[in-house]
This record gives sequence, structure tokens and C-alpha cells, in this order.
Amino acid sequence: MATKTELSDVKLQLRLYVAGNAPNSVRAIANARAICEEHFNGSHDLEIVDLLDHPVRGLADGIIVTPTLLKVMPLPVQRVIGNLSDTSQVLLALGRA
Amino acid sequence: MTTGAVLSTRDLAQRLAEAEATIEALLSGQIDAVVDSKSHTPVLLAQAQEELRRSQKRLRDIIDGLGPSMFVGLMTPAGILLEANRPVLAAAGLQPEDVMGKLFEDTYWWSFSPESRARLRATIERAARGEASRYDVQVRAAHGEFIDVDFSLQPLRDETGAVVFLVPSGTIITERKQTENALRESNENFHHLADNITDVFWIRSPDMRDVQYISPAYERIWGRPVNTLYSQPLQWTDHIVPEDRARVDAAFATLKGDVPNIDVEYRIARPDGEIRWVRSRGFQVRDAAGTLIRLIGIITDTTEPRNLQAQLMVSDRMASVGTLAAGVAHEINNPLAAVMANLEFMSESLATMGPHPSATWLLGEFKEPLEEAREAAQMVRLIVRDLKIFSRSPADEPTGAVDVKAIMESSTRMAWNEIRHRAQLVKHYGVVPGVKANEARLGQVFLNLIVNAAQALPEGRAEHNEICVSTRLEGKRVIVEVSDTGSGIPPEIIGRIFDAFFTTKPVGVGTGLGLAICHRLVTDIGGELTVQSEVGRGTTFRVALPVAEEPESKVAQPVEHVPGTGRRGRILVVDDEQLVLQGVKRMLFKEHEVVAVRAAAEALALCAGGDKFDVILCDLMMPDMTGMDFHEELSRVAPHLLDRVIFMTGGAFTARAQQFLSETPKEHIEKPFRPANLRAIIQRYLR
Repeated sequence: MATKTELSDVKLQLRLYVAGNAPNSVRAIANARAICEEHFNGSHDLEIVDLLDHPVRGLADGIIVTPTLLKVMPLPVQRVIGNLSDTSQVLLALGRA
Repeated sequence: MTTGAVLSTRDLAQRLAEAEATIEALLSGQIDAVVDSKSHTPVLLAQAQEELRRSQKRLRDIIDGLGPSMFVGLMTPAGILLEANRPVLAAAGLQPEDVMGKLFEDTYWWSFSPESRARLRATIERAARGEASRYDVQVRAAHGEFIDVDFSLQPLRDETGAVVFLVPSGTIITERKQTENALRESNENFHHLADNITDVFWIRSPDMRDVQYISPAYERIWGRPVNTLYSQPLQWTDHIVPEDRARVDAAFATLKGDVPNIDVEYRIARPDGEIRWVRSRGFQVRDAAGTLIRLIGIITDTTEPRNLQAQLMVSDRMASVGTLAAGVAHEINNPLAAVMANLEFMSESLATMGPHPSATWLLGEFKEPLEEAREAAQMVRLIVRDLKIFSRSPADEPTGAVDVKAIMESSTRMAWNEIRHRAQLVKHYGVVPGVKANEARLGQVFLNLIVNAAQALPEGRAEHNEICVSTRLEGKRVIVEVSDTGSGIPPEIIGRIFDAFFTTKPVGVGTGLGLAICHRLVTDIGGELTVQSEVGRGTTFRVALPVAEEPESKVAQPVEHVPGTGRRGRILVVDDEQLVLQGVKRMLFKEHEVVAVRAAAEALALCAGGDKFDVILCDLMMPDMTGMDFHEELSRVAPHLLDRVIFMTGGAFTARAQQFLSETPKEHIEKPFRPANLRAIIQRYLR
């Protein structure tokens, strides 16, 4: 529970890697925003990185496919791969289920 | 957590979970891009697939858009067909699976011909080695039809240069082939026609500067090779005789402009100097827009027709002169008969006057002048008879058997004025039968040959030169020769002397038509006119004529007068000419009883009335009732007198008279006649 409390105290930092406006990327952005709006109530940062524009940024995060959602903070880093259409899976991965 | 190669169990589990999620996302189609592990750049998956799909579709559309008339495919270097444009398959009634994955040479298209298949196999093997091929070949299309295809096989190489694919393609050329064949056939037909017509056919550029076609007849007419005309098109006009050139140039200048066709006749000179007449017709050819695209034309050799026309004109002129001469002869003969009869009467009267002193004086004074007058009259008679020979006989047909010697005699007399101061005339008349000819025509021929012979000799050396005329029989032909001792005809022109307009005489002396006409006249009656000549020695013209089958026309042959031996007879003389009547009466009245009447009707009345006559001398041509009418009437009213009739003829026969004389076995005597001849003939009837 402590962890849970501890975690909830830290502001959620998310980073979504996409490829231009490829279909799954567009869908992933829309899904990510909807989930954050609904479940995190503004206590979060969602950064969207277009790998086509910034290929080097993905390198540091070990990105190998897009779209990939990365939970940067709180640790541990978690990644969700795909277009984020399964909301429960996304929340589970973010530790907010 | 440590960095490095060692991963904690937790890390490993996370990595595995991530990998698993990644694969799951990939499989469920949720991945857009994969980061290339070397370049670290994202590669868009869906877009790449879409692009590939689109470009594949574009390629297929292009290939299929080629339609059924062009085949394009793709195959392995071994020749296994991987792709082919669908419309071509559909056109042959094939499904893709019928051909895809199969050896190309085993497919439907090639299956009919082992040769084609073998050739294709060899071509594929060459293509697999990198060698492209292209050839026309026949393949099988739908419904067992065959189509001609322009086939090509190209190797496709990868970046290392290895042949990875082969691209077969084929374009249907059946229509092109048909068009080519039709064009070739049409071209062949044109050449066949154009090359074989006797006229020259030509095609030239609108400015006349190029010769696009000229038929080989040009060589025959111009006597020059066609090739030189292709290389030097303007040479054409070089051979037009200078007098005609401006006229021809003017005509063609208008053809180059807006005159749609021209028709011009002109003369050309051949390399051997011969002049030929040609008629040239030219036409403009315009395209649909009305632009002048070429000029075409036909050139006809009109030399022969012109010659014939000229010959006809000359021989017509000669014929009308002949008709005129015959008329004149007739007009002269009647008064001449009277002159001769009266002269004869006077000299005989003088001779029978007895030994009276005044008679002796008269005889001494007038005997010689009378003799001279008689001789002169006799000469007039011969001249008139010669004239008649050159007149045209009615139908202008052979007049039966003709005595060539008599005609030659007449001809030499007519030409005597040309001969006498140039040569001595030598005659060698062999005994020959009559020939089948027309007197007047044959007379023209002989006269022409004699005059030519005379004109070949210089004037004033008559004793050194000779003109020889001869007749002889050779088999079934009578040979008449006219030779001279003139300068002879050079071999290079002897072949042309029978050509019309060919003359060696100065302008104005000869028309150049004489020998041409002679040749035609002789040929027309089945004879032959040939020439032999030696330069410096002289020339011989030889006329070979067919012997007549029918006997010579019956002309009363004069019998020498045996004076004072006949019995006295009763003679009826019928002639519309008073002078002739008087003359004949004077000739005969001492020996016979002479009844002279001026009209046949009157004579007929006498005969019908029962008068007896031993001889009826009747003129043939009389104005009211002719001798022929008289003869016919007589056969009705007094047939027993028919064989007593002797006709007197004066010349100019009508067609009817000619026919009458040849059909009626009647004796006739030609005016003017010598009294002695007349008396002798009458005596025969009294015996």
C-alpha cells in the first residue's frame, strides 16, 4: 500500500512514441489522451514524440516499434506497445488499475 | 540494477513481456513502424505495405492497360512464366493458371509448331546468358487463329549484373503485315502495268525537279537509258528539238501553276539523230487539302500515226490529181479521136486522088505536114494514155492482171524529162505474165522509183550514167527492177529509207514520203519492195509482185490493116460527140455504109425497127442513155445484134462502167484509135 501511496504522490509522466500520422499512431494518441483525461484527472504529463522527426530520441528509450507508450515516472519504467485501444490493459501496465 | 550484460530476473521477465507484447501488437496490426536496428530510423510498416500494394497495382494497371494487342510477361531465366498481362490471356481464352508457372514454350501460344518452340527455347537460353532477341513470329490466338507477332525477349539484371528475370513481349502485327502485303502487291501491280505499257508513264515532283518514276518505255522512244533521267531530271527537255522547246516549257510552266492538265505534242531527237513525234499529257495530283503533291503524265509515241496520216494526205492528193487527170484525158480523147480520124482521112484522100497534076502538087505539098500532124496527134494520144495510168480506178482495188511492161513504159515516158539529161535509159524486158495489182498504184510506184533513180544522178553527164529498168519472172513472182549508177546509199541510213519523212534531198525537192508510200502500196497488194545499194556503184530497187491468176483484161488487140481486102458492111456508129461521129464516118465511109447517130435511143429505135448492122460502134459513156443501157435494151428488142456491138471508151470509167466491162465479154476499143486498127477490127466482124 505504501508503494501505492508513494506512487500516487508522484506526478505521472508518460511519453508516447508515434510515427507521423500512421493509422495506429493517430489512434494511440487519441486513446492516450482519452485515458489520461478520464483516469488521471490532470495529474499527469503526456509527451508525444514523433520518431519520424526525432529518430534519435527513441534510441535512448530503447524504442523498437511505434506506437509505444512509455511510463517514465514513477519508476519502474513501463512500456505499452500498440494503439492503446485496450484501456484496461493500459491502466494495468501503468499500475493504475 | 546494474548495467552490462547481466540482466536481473525481473528485467529479463520485463523484456520478455515487452517482446511478447510487441509481437502480439505486430500480429494484431497495431504497429506502424519498426526502428531499423542499424540506421535507428523508423520504417513505416503499413505505409510501406500500402505503397508496395499501390505500386504493384499501378504496374499491373499499366501492363493490363496495354490491351490484348500487346503481350508483356515476366519469367525466370529458365523460362517459367511468372506474370503475363491479363487481357492477352483473355483474348486467347486462357486463365492465368493455364500459363503461370509453366515453361513459356509449353504454353498454348506456341504449342502448334515444334519449330517455333525450338526457336523460343534457344532464345530463352540466350536471354538467360544476357542476350536480348527480337523477331517476327506467328503464334496461336483464340479459336485456332494465327497472328503475326513482333516478339522480343529482354533479360533483367540485378545490381550484380546477374540475369534474374526475363521479360517477354509481343506486338500483334497481323494488320501491319496485311497492310505491308497490300502495299507491296499494289506496288507490284503498278510496276507491272507501268513497266509494260508502250506509253511512257511518269511521276514527278510538283516543281518538276525530281523524277519519282518513269516507265521503261522511255528507253524505247527516247533511245536513252532511264537511269540518267533519275539522276538528271532536267535532261528531259534537252532532247526536245529546239523549235519545240519553248512551247513545251510554256505548257509545263502552266502545269506547275494552276492549270490542272496539259496536252502538248512535240518532237524529240534520239541519239541516232532520228526525230520522233510524241504527245505528252500531264496532270496535277492534289491531296485532300488541295495542295499540289505531284505531277503525273503519259507520253505517247505519235510518229507512226502521224506518218500514216501524212502518207494518206499525200496519196489522197495524188489520187485527186489522178481523178482530175482521168477527167482531162477523157475530155482530150474525144476531140483527139476526131483530129486523128480527120488527119487520117486527109492523108488517105490525098493518096487516092490519082495521078492528077493538082493532086500530085497537093500530095507533095501536104504529105509531110500531115504526117507530122499525125505523129504529133499520136504523141498526144500516148501522153493522155499515160496520164490515165496514174489516175485512180474506181474502187482502188487491184484491177486484175496488169501488164508491168506497159506500165513501166508509161512511167519512163512520164519521167523522161528527169531522165534524159542525167542518164541513158536501158530496158531489159523479159516476158512476164500479168501481175495482180492496180495500174494506177503500180504506175505511181514505178514513176517514183525512176524519178528517185534519176535524182540520184548529177545533171549533165548523161553519157556516163545509166538507169536500167528490167522485168523478169522468178517463180510465182514478177520482179521489176530499177537501178541507177549513182552514188549509192550509205549503210547507216539504208535501214531508214522507207521511213516516212526520211529524205536526203534538199528541202523543197522531196517530201520524204515517196518511198514510204511506195513501200505501203507494194505491200498492200502482197508484193515486196527491197533495196540493194553499194556506195559509189549505185542502187537497185526491186519490186516483187504476185502473178495474177486471172487473165489480162480484154482489150481489142490491133491487127495490122490489110487494105482493100474486106467486104463492104453496114456500120452503126453511136457517139454523143459530133466530131467523133464525123471522124469515124470519114474513116469508114469509103469501104462501108455508115449510119451515124448521136443518141443511143435513136440507135435503139433503128435496131428495134429491123435495121440490119454488121457492126455497132457504141460509145460507152453518153449523157442520156449510156452504152450500158443501150446494151441492156438491145438484148430485149434485138438480141441477135448483141454480138455485133463494139464499145468505144474514152478514159474515165465510172465504177459501173468498170464492172460492166469486166463482166460483159464485149470487145472494146480505146479512143483515140488509129483508122487502120478500127478497120482491121471491123473486118473481123465481116468475115
